[in-house]
Amino acid sequence: MSLLAVEDLHVEVDGTPILKGLDMAVEPGEVHAVMGPNGSGKSTFANVLAGRPGYEVTAGAVTVDGIDIAAYSPEQRSHLGLFLAFQYPIEIPGVSNMEFLKAAVDAHARSAGLDEPSPVDFIRRARNAASQLGISADFLKRGVNEGFSGGEKKRNEILQMLLLEPRLAVLDETDSGLDIDALQVVADGINGFRSDDNAVLLVTHYQRLLNHIVPDWVHVLANGRIVRSGDRSLALALEEQGYGWVDD
Amino acid sequence: MPETATDLDTLVRSEYSAGFVTEIETDTLPPGLDEDVVRTISARKEEPSWMIDWRLDAFRRWQAMALPRWAHVRFPDIDFQAISYFSAPKGERPKSLDEVDPELLETYQKLGVPLHERARLAGVAGVDGTGGESPPDGATSAVAVDAVFDSVSIATTFKDKLTEAGVVFCSMAEAVREHPELVRKYLGSVVPKPDNFYAALNSAVFSDGSFVYVPKHTRCPMELSTYFRINAENTGQFERTLIIADEGAHVSYLEGCTAPMRDDNQLHAAVVELVALDDAEIKYSTVQNWYPGDEQGRGGIYNFVTKRGACLGARSKISWTQVETGSAITWKYPSVVLRGADSVGEFHSVALTRNFQQADTGTKMIHIGPRTKSTIISKGISAGRSQNSYRGLVRMNAGAVGARNHTQCDSLLIGDACGAHTFPYIEAKLPSAVVEHEATTSKVSDEQLFLCQQRGIDPEKAVAMIVGGFCKDVFRTLPMEFAVEAGKLLEVSLEGAVG
Amino acid sequence: MAGSTTDAAALAQRLLDIGERSYAPWLDRREWRDVIERGGLPRPRSEPWKYTNISRWYGAALAAAAAPQRHAPRLHAPREIEVVEFSDRRAAAFVQAWQGRAFDLAKQPLAAVNNLLLGAGVVVRVPAGTQATKPVHIEDMGAAYQQVLVLVEEEATLTLIEQPSPFTHRIVEIAVGTDARLRHLRRQAASPNRECSLVGVRVEAGARYALAQSSLGADLRRNDMLATLCGEGAEATIRAAWRLDGHRHLDNQIAVSHAAPGGFSRQTYRGVVGGRARAVLNGRIHIAPRAQATDAALSTKNLLQSTTAEVYAKPELEIHANDVKCSHGATVGTLDEDAIHYLRSRGVAEDTARALLIRGFLREAVEDLEGAERLRLFSSAVPDRDLPT
Repeated sequence: MSLLAVEDLHVEVDGTPILKGLDMAVEPGEVHAVMGPNGSGKSTFANVLAGRPGYEVTAGAVTVDGIDIAAYSPEQRSHLGLFLAFQYPIEIPGVSNMEFLKAAVDAHARSAGLDEPSPVDFIRRARNAASQLGISADFLKRGVNEGFSGGEKKRNEILQMLLLEPRLAVLDETDSGLDIDALQVVADGINGFRSDDNAVLLVTHYQRLLNHIVPDWVHVLANGRIVRSGDRSLALALEEQGYGWVDD
Repeated sequence: MPETATDLDTLVRSEYSAGFVTEIETDTLPPGLDEDVVRTISARKEEPSWMIDWRLDAFRRWQAMALPRWAHVRFPDIDFQAISYFSAPKGERPKSLDEVDPELLETYQKLGVPLHERARLAGVAGVDGTGGESPPDGATSAVAVDAVFDSVSIATTFKDKLTEAGVVFCSMAEAVREHPELVRKYLGSVVPKPDNFYAALNSAVFSDGSFVYVPKHTRCPMELSTYFRINAENTGQFERTLIIADEGAHVSYLEGCTAPMRDDNQLHAAVVELVALDDAEIKYSTVQNWYPGDEQGRGGIYNFVTKRGACLGARSKISWTQVETGSAITWKYPSVVLRGADSVGEFHSVALTRNFQQADTGTKMIHIGPRTKSTIISKGISAGRSQNSYRGLVRMNAGAVGARNHTQCDSLLIGDACGAHTFPYIEAKLPSAVVEHEATTSKVSDEQLFLCQQRGIDPEKAVAMIVGGFCKDVFRTLPMEFAVEAGKLLEVSLEGAVG
Repeated sequence: MAGSTTDAAALAQRLLDIGERSYAPWLDRREWRDVIERGGLPRPRSEPWKYTNISRWYGAALAAAAAPQRHAPRLHAPREIEVVEFSDRRAAAFVQAWQGRAFDLAKQPLAAVNNLLLGAGVVVRVPAGTQATKPVHIEDMGAAYQQVLVLVEEEATLTLIEQPSPFTHRIVEIAVGTDARLRHLRRQAASPNRECSLVGVRVEAGARYALAQSSLGADLRRNDMLATLCGEGAEATIRAAWRLDGHRHLDNQIAVSHAAPGGFSRQTYRGVVGGRARAVLNGRIHIAPRAQATDAALSTKNLLQSTTAEVYAKPELEIHANDVKCSHGATVGTLDEDAIHYLRSRGVAEDTARALLIRGFLREAVEDLEGAERLRLFSSAVPDRDLPT
């Protein structure tokens, strides 16, 4: 059974078809990259997996570990192990990062029928994850993304991923807005997260992130469908020749 | 896809947990108001003749006054002859806690208010697990409570310990008898009898309330609190509170209030006066949870309250912190008259309205003395079909050389059927004073909710968290006991069935 | 106050006694009589007149009513614009179609005074699609009670300039049609008179209205204004600067009402008040329940220059929709002494330093105006004696 199976997925936004029959299977331990030009439907794909309101699935199915998630709320999908690193992380003024992370980790524990971690354990874990990403402890006390730089916001997304330990991490343009050092830190975080049990889906316009996180599969999305799949060499070919040639 | 607004709407509907009725025999005056009623109230309280005259003078002034109509609230005319002005549990006032009717003790137990001298206020035990500060140790966090049930104070705790420190904490009725010199000097000195319609009414018929005197250079050894409970039907509550902090004194005072759920509106018209002399400091915190009415807007308390503090002394300080979640209508402007040089006034407010609640609340900062300073932080949260208004006045009189005010006034809207309004009045009469006012409006955005949900947090908890973040600047000014209670109250007020 | 109450009563009586009028006899005056009969004139110290003693105006209004003089309005307009005086019957159709649409006249008793005593009125119409080549200048209207009705039809553009000119009460009603543009400049010179004006603007879908106003105050000057964004995506930008000294009095009551979705509005006020002058600003943003996706902001800043001057500022928000960006800010203070010191340390004389800073302060209100307009506003808002030499 695939970790993620997407079959003939059709999605509309405000009545406009965006995804027009997308198929994909992701197995545990794999890294997939979904690439494509602007407007090809990459972000729609990422958002629809997470159940964002406003995206209407008109046909097809998405299963996670064989479970059809169509009727699942965003938080239930999260509890199933589906994590989305947002392209534009939003600010929540006044709510500290720590408070937010604790609420999320507690909700996951409850949903798994486990005890909520003690504050001491939680703080230790959060600090460890933060230091792994080169984030100062002070960062945890600040409001969620409040006044964060672009790079800090992206690191914060990865921090949340490390703490929630998802089965499938969907990273939407996580490399955008990162300088080379920050990109390395974020990539190290993601590589450290990888295991035989989980999987990563990178959604990206450029292949530069793939220099740091080597994908097992590369898919090219154009006009709402996957038009080509291959290994890493496909990404390099795209880089060289642009997206024009995939339409041919 | 479900409409997020609809989800939010169901989110902010929840039950009122303090809405029960205590079955107890009462001694209640028949409805109606005339001079005889005023005399009767005074007689029940065994008041001296100067107090009767004072009340009658207020009553005559009240009769000549008109109901104020300027607030941004709507309600049918109140029939002041249809209200009972006095209701008390039958029998003598208990002399000690052991004599208090067990029904009453149980009532306060249910409300989480300890009427014994062991425990702290409810809500302290649970600390939110985010590794915040631990609560202060038991010895310092004890709270002395004055419990006011309808028109009378039924118990005041920790009196011995307070007496040791020279602090007077008793019911207003007792203060009139035991400390007439202080009461005569200060009662009505901050809120004069004819100050406004409801203040005049209160001056005529006020029942009970708390009296505090903290002597010179004394730091009150514990938090003081009064818990107001309206129980009797068709009865108004008109409590009167007077707090005097003598030179160099410090006191922190908490006020809580609840009432049963009823379909009729009930009137609560209190007056609170604070007096701070040189270098004195008074911190007054309210968690107002009067019954707000039901989902259709039936019932609930009309909370028409006059609260004012006078910083009479140099370097004195008065802080008002309020968390308002209750009442059908709130009409309330805790104010500070900054007379003493370098005195400081603060107003921190969270007002949450939902269903058909209406709140018109804010503050007045009247700067008279030089280098006086005031800060206003107001956070209004409107949900459902409610109307939430901030109304404030900052006045810089000609003598307020070098005075400063900063006001931050933020509104958060939940759903599209509510209203959020801001009516700040700024009056400046000298160049050296500086006034700064800022206001913003925002909503709980779909994006914020989605982020929380994606991380596994249910929408109910997410809204409570976002609202809590919005209010953080005010919550951090509350005493520990109240901060936890206020946070919980807000969460309860926001919770409800999520589809 | 006994005398002033008498003025109000005498004025009301005079209004009710008015019979047939020779000027604009087609104007339906009955409803205006009703306004006076039902509600009467505003009472002194009532909320809208908290900071302006309306009784002082009643005295002036009565005197002006007793001496109605009239000559042809002085108004300059380019050829492509239709100008019709109220003395011309053709004005009737326009007035009947548009009067009272920009504001709730029943709530404007002074509008009733104006209509009952009207001595000069003019309709300015810019036909659909017409781009006016030159501004319309309103100068001396020739009577104490006056009205201007401005119709900028669909996709038309116009610049309207109210030059300093005396009146007792002036109504300017404006309709900015779909996708039309109107720039409105009001110059209010220092005046020994007591003058009230009422401006009502309707801004239709996609239309833009921009006001720039400069005032030096008067013995009593009151400007009431309501701009309603009634079509989707309408825009209003309001800027006002004032500079008062002596015993001058200025009371601006300005409201922007968002009645349709997607509207945009900015209100910017800057005032400098000295002497024994009094400046009042009540600036208001109202957002109706259906006006989602509104972006509205208001900023007012005031400098007080003497211990006898007074500033009253009341920036209000009334919001009935949740998907809005809405904010306001207000400050009252004095010139930054550090900034003055900085300039002096660079060799600038103190007086010049103050003048420079005041100019900079007022400029914020008008900074996005074009050079010529800005200059015109400044020449009235900042008297020459303040300009650095």
